Amino acid sequence: MQEITHSELLKVGGRYDALSLDGLTENDVRSLYGFMLRLRMCEEQLQEEYHPADEMRCPVHFCIGQEAVPAALSLILCSSDYLFSHHRSHGYFLAKCGEMKTLFAELYGRSTGANGGIAGSQDISMHTAKFYSGAILAGAVAIATGAAMGIQLQGSDSVVAVGFGEGAGDEGVFWEAVSFAALRQMPVIFICENNRYATFSEHLKRQSRDNISLKAEAFGVMSSTVFGNDVAAVYRALRAAHSHAKCGGGPVLVQTYTYRSCSHVGPEDDSWIGYRPKPELEYWKTNCPIKLLEEKMITNGMLNQTRKSELVRQSDAEIQEAFKYAKSSPLPSEVNWSWLNANPSSPLADVLLGAIDVTSFDEGQEDTLPAPY
Amino acid sequence: MRMRELTYSAAIREGLAQAMDLSEKVIVLGQLVDSKAGVFGTTSGLVDVFGTNRVQDFPVAEGLMTSSAIGAALAGMRPVLVHQRLDFMLYSLDAIGNWLSLWRFKSNGLSDVPVTIRAVVGKGWGQGPQHSKSLHAWFTHLPGLRVAMPSTAQDAKGLLLESIFGEVPSIIVEDRSLFSMTDHVPEKPYRVKFGEACVRCTGVDVTVVAIGGLVPASIRAAKTLGFESVSVEVVDPRTLTPLDIDTILNSVRKTRRLLVVDPGWRSAGVSAELISSVCERLGTDLACNPKRVCLPDSHTPMSYSLEKEYYPDEKTIVNAVLSMLQVSVGDT
Repeated sequence: MQEITHSELLKVGGRYDALSLDGLTENDVRSLYGFMLRLRMCEEQLQEEYHPADEMRCPVHFCIGQEAVPAALSLILCSSDYLFSHHRSHGYFLAKCGEMKTLFAELYGRSTGANGGIAGSQDISMHTAKFYSGAILAGAVAIATGAAMGIQLQGSDSVVAVGFGEGAGDEGVFWEAVSFAALRQMPVIFICENNRYATFSEHLKRQSRDNISLKAEAFGVMSSTVFGNDVAAVYRALRAAHSHAKCGGGPVLVQTYTYRSCSHVGPEDDSWIGYRPKPELEYWKTNCPIKLLEEKMITNGMLNQTRKSELVRQSDAEIQEAFKYAKSSPLPSEVNWSWLNANPSSPLADVLLGAIDVTSFDEGQEDTLPAPY
Repeated sequence: MRMRELTYSAAIREGLAQAMDLSEKVIVLGQLVDSKAGVFGTTSGLVDVFGTNRVQDFPVAEGLMTSSAIGAALAGMRPVLVHQRLDFMLYSLDAIGNWLSLWRFKSNGLSDVPVTIRAVVGKGWGQGPQHSKSLHAWFTHLPGLRVAMPSTAQDAKGLLLESIFGEVPSIIVEDRSLFSMTDHVPEKPYRVKFGEACVRCTGVDVTVVAIGGLVPASIRAAKTLGFESVSVEVVDPRTLTPLDIDTILNSVRKTRRLLVVDPGWRSAGVSAELISSVCERLGTDLACNPKRVCLPDSHTPMSYSLEKEYYPDEKTIVNAVLSMLQVSVGDT
């Protein structure tokens, strides 16, 4: 396994120059670039709109700098595959569900949002697209493993992908899931976007080793590590993982060393906290995943200024349309709390189960002391 | 026709077997559910019929087990989880509180996760503080869950089947002291609906709302009091969420006296909820202050002499009823 860690990367420093397009078609490359550019623009414009309008009144974790994994997944996953996301969900949502306007409407708390404004950014889901997210670390990883179990039991060839940060590796249930997936050789891809920080807390303050892949290997999960801002490498690793899991090869863990170049939450700059050193910020800014691919594409004649402007124009139009849709959609009202929390109908029980006289019981029955243990 | 009798544990086993027969989506997960002992007989032999894929001896990882059930339910399965002791289930509180109970809610009603959790509450033979907790009040407090406390073999089977084939995640709290009791249990797969209380015996002087493992003692107390010409109505809510408050209110309207008998701790528990729900509607109509018989606000002791002191029994209930009548007689 390639030895990449955050500290190793910074030690080498400078510009990453190993991006190779081997194994990718020109179409793959264009799609990856288009997705990343669109996602970046989407996040930047959401940031701009967030304040002072204050119409998006929910915690939003932007994914600027971490576009590579969602971009790769958008090309790899099929509609029958499942995708579970961490709280930094927008890229994953777009990768699996596509529609930007339902994402925006959800952030705006509108009834036309993916979850009618109930979930917001960090809990958004789209059941029909088999996309789910959640804010409690590692919880979604364990649930994803269960989905893989369900798939396996039904003999389907779907695959489950689940993204999480290295912070999830602090949690016990994360390792329960990794161990169980290995035990049962489940079709699940664990994707660790290792961005070094759980909120403001550095990885090595919380874990004795900062390489999740090595630990997963010890559990018997095939693992790989890539430079997470090299979207081509990320794509190749995830594509290989997907084929492996789909063919019954068992679980795979892909760790991508990447960086959140924005704040942990919200558009406000959180650098005043002083948790990330300047040279580190500089390094990752130099090695922005979009910039790295863009330069490669220009060198290879796959992209020029005209083409880029056209892509920017397209994404911008989609984003403006999404804002318009969200802002003009109605806010939810008059919720039936009971219905929302618990489905009152049980169609299956209605069909399968008979009725009995539930008032007649054996009135002479005696309770007994349980046997020991 | 003489009705067929089954024990509480055999009724659960039959319910599980029938559910697995009715639908291939039903799976049973839990520690040692595939062993001969079969969790007090409730899963015995199932593995021989349905195989290890559907009757899974799960790793000792309760948090993962509950989360896996959520995931499996998303993929179309109907998992039943089995905890030999409810206490071990506490490792899965994140899965229950942060995911399972609010899954439908946060999907805006678009996604259901029909997971059934069976939790056995130990009682007697020195189970002590880590083998005997009945935390039904905790689960009742959470929106998005159904909570059942079956007190008869008949209800144990019917509520289990209703849970498995319903859409709402359900927690069934099973009191170990009930496992050898026998009741009329119809052979066919049948349902006992949530939110439908059962009047176990009718009376006019005092309403005793009895829950789960303390229902049999309450029925016996009612019989004993009957010999003293005290007429007690025992209402068994069967399920705490949803709660059939109407049946309880109707009974209290008649008797004007309410005693709640709850196998949980006294403070901030289900007994408090029931009494306040009744008082909100009928407070000024009551003939005397409502009363409750609960476990003391203490963890469970091991020694059998202290167990006797700790757990309420028929006598505790009889005395509580008598004290209420004395108060009310003095008032009128």
